[in-house]
Amino acid sequence: MASVTVNGTEHDSAKPGRNLLSFLRFDLGLTGSKYGCGEGLCGACTVLVDGQPLRSCMSTVDAVAGGEITTIEGLANDGLLHPVQQAFVDNAAMQCGYCIPGFIMTTVGLLNREGSPTTEQIREALAENLCRCGTYQRIERAVGQAADAMTTAGAAE
Amino acid sequence: MTEQQAGAATEGLIVAGEVTVGFPAQRTGYGAATYGNTEPQRESFTWLVVHPDGTATAFAGKVEYGQGIRWGLAVEVADELRLPLDAVEVVLGDTDRVPWDMGTFGSQSTARVGVQLRKAAATAREKLLELAADRLDLPTSDLSCEDGRVIASGDANHAVEYAELLAGERIEIDIVDDVALTPETDFTVMGTETARIDAEMRVTGAAVYSQDVQVPEMLFAHILRPPSYGATAATIDLSVAAQMPGVAQTIELDGMHAILADSDEEAEFAARVVQQQWDEQAGQPSRWDMPQLLKSSAQEPFVTQEEGDLDAGFAEAAGILEETYYIPYITIAPMEPRAAVAQWDGDRLTIRAGGQRPFGLRSELAGHFGIDEDNIRVVTQEIGGGFGGKSIYPVAEEAATLARAAGRPVRVAYTRNEETTLSTFRPAALIEIKSGFTSDGRIVAWDYRAYHAGERVMIGRRGSMSPYDTPNVRAEVFRSDSPLRSGSYRSLGGAVNHFAREVHIDEIAAATGVDPVALRLKNMVDPRFRRVIETAAGRFGWGSGDAGSGRGIAIGLDVGSYSATAVQLDVQGTEVKVERVAASLDCGLTVNPDGARNQMEGGVVMGMGNALYEAADFEDGRLLNPGFTRYRVPRSNNAPGIEVDLVGDPETPSTGAGEPGIVPIAPAISNAVFDLTGERHRELPIQRHLS
Repeated sequence: MASVTVNGTEHDSAKPGRNLLSFLRFDLGLTGSKYGCGEGLCGACTVLVDGQPLRSCMSTVDAVAGGEITTIEGLANDGLLHPVQQAFVDNAAMQCGYCIPGFIMTTVGLLNREGSPTTEQIREALAENLCRCGTYQRIERAVGQAADAMTTAGAAE
Repeated sequence: MTEQQAGAATEGLIVAGEVTVGFPAQRTGYGAATYGNTEPQRESFTWLVVHPDGTATAFAGKVEYGQGIRWGLAVEVADELRLPLDAVEVVLGDTDRVPWDMGTFGSQSTARVGVQLRKAAATAREKLLELAADRLDLPTSDLSCEDGRVIASGDANHAVEYAELLAGERIEIDIVDDVALTPETDFTVMGTETARIDAEMRVTGAAVYSQDVQVPEMLFAHILRPPSYGATAATIDLSVAAQMPGVAQTIELDGMHAILADSDEEAEFAARVVQQQWDEQAGQPSRWDMPQLLKSSAQEPFVTQEEGDLDAGFAEAAGILEETYYIPYITIAPMEPRAAVAQWDGDRLTIRAGGQRPFGLRSELAGHFGIDEDNIRVVTQEIGGGFGGKSIYPVAEEAATLARAAGRPVRVAYTRNEETTLSTFRPAALIEIKSGFTSDGRIVAWDYRAYHAGERVMIGRRGSMSPYDTPNVRAEVFRSDSPLRSGSYRSLGGAVNHFAREVHIDEIAAATGVDPVALRLKNMVDPRFRRVIETAAGRFGWGSGDAGSGRGIAIGLDVGSYSATAVQLDVQGTEVKVERVAASLDCGLTVNPDGARNQMEGGVVMGMGNALYEAADFEDGRLLNPGFTRYRVPRSNNAPGIEVDLVGDPETPSTGAGEPGIVPIAPAISNAVFDLTGERHRELPIQRHLS
């Protein structure tokens, strides 16, 4: 039986081979990670495994056994939004919002790798995710703001 | 107030208003199909409650699919009621709680429901003034409302809070239809930049979409789908699947074959062992048959515009152009595939879904199951993109049918492939235009024939009328056979008709050597049109000497709103890189500027995909590109920088902002490609025709 830690809590997956996205959404009730295509092409299901983005629809729980998984529900801290979440709110970087959890997790993963990403790095990372409402310009602005906020906060520490 | 409007307040100031139920503004399309036989009747509903704690709840039958309508309506109510924005809650799309509504499409929300809610809020404000007049012993003329309080003129300390006026009270009033609305000069929230009220739940994962709904005892359905359009089941044996792990039931009903299991994956795995044979329909038209089929199957046309004498116009013309344009079927591809959860409690049905017409769905389900509408509750979740397509929501009936048979709640959720294959498409169209013009670019004759696939003429008619001041005009719209199921799409046929017309206008500019902006202005007296063109061209920096640099412009008129779009692009091999877009919008009074800009930006990106990449490929009844591997939509690294100018006159009533952005972008892109390469693209998507 595969064991994973999700947002700090350890879970045992009931069934071998369980799809990671379905496990999160239906077994744990963490529906913030979305189903968009089931083919790893739209990024709506993106979660972090040990800090790096993964298309959960393309993974099983077994494949990430022992890993630390963070979903969109695990980002805010004591009701205080993560700087990336806050930047999306500040920039009204959404319309229907269905893709937004995936974009936020992709962004957090990027900022884990690159503290001060270039515009090109931001666009390349975000190209992994789809937003049919077409709010890309706002999302890029939000990611830039979040990167700045986190750099400033990091420098202050 | 009707009894079925559950959840309505028992205390506070309750504002009700009448709605004509079952009587859409236009009895065509969905309206005719769904409500055509119902006798309209007037019923009273609660639109607004000011609670004893001084906050307010507004009720509207609209739904939120990304257009920001919850926010927009809250802005209107907050302003009229003189409340801070965060003191206003908006309940949407729950048929047990909100006033009857035709559906959320055609950019009608702000124009109609917004005005109704403003009247409700203004009526409530007048009542609060009356109550305060008694309390403060002053005439209402000496009182005003501000920030949740009624205050005396000239003495801000002499005031009473709404909460104090309403404590322990239950006051029911009716909307005063001619109540004085707040003049634009006194707006404090409307027209200003505010923060979206429902943003936080979307960044924390708390927002619940139809795909996310789970109820106790719920079974996950997998419905066996035919391999091609029109196929019927020959033999489908579910007996082995019924023995698979986790399978609770298999159901054969109404031509539907379904597996119900305890989890999504168990239903899907079980489906793989089903022996199935289908009778497929041979000889169905394929994508390459479309241009010819559109003409050969055309029915009698609808004349949408007729003025002057075409023959005389062409006789006087110095130049004549005659060209044909083709726009393929495209799919909507919302990020959220449709899903529904159905739950029966005896004869009472609750559906949790994500459709654009909750009351229409309720009516359809009542008809299908032969039960009273009052016994059906449709709860609309957050909707992960609609763009017009989710006006049709067949998963709800499937879920309800299976849930009734199973005796347990059932979830039906489309996969991406099901979403694309089983949804409607924006109809393909062939458009023929013959124009006559003077040597200096004045259009004197315009003969327009548009062949749109599908039976609903309202789709092809939208945007078929030329907005140019041409003395001799005729526009005809034909309905033709549609091998794919055609349906609503952002702007209906508006973007399709505009593509042909605005490319043709550019061709007249090229033929006469007149600048494309100047040519449009020369043929247009409407000041609202002139303003959007001049604004977009000005923002873009359109200079007469910049021809050949990869720039293009087009204009649009949709749902009463005017728009213009100028683009700058580059072509690298078979890839068009749209670099920069300057767009302008006149939607009259702009209630929520950032919401309107967001809609314009989104329309530009969506229309860019329609122009450059998108076409639904089908062959002999099979859709070949239902997933994102073979159906390309724009990604962030394709998206241009977009600047939006809002130029609506606040004195002009609000019209829609959701659709005007998609209307001029495709022709502007085609015109810019011509400007750069000299190649005229009259067929979409453009990137398939680049070499």
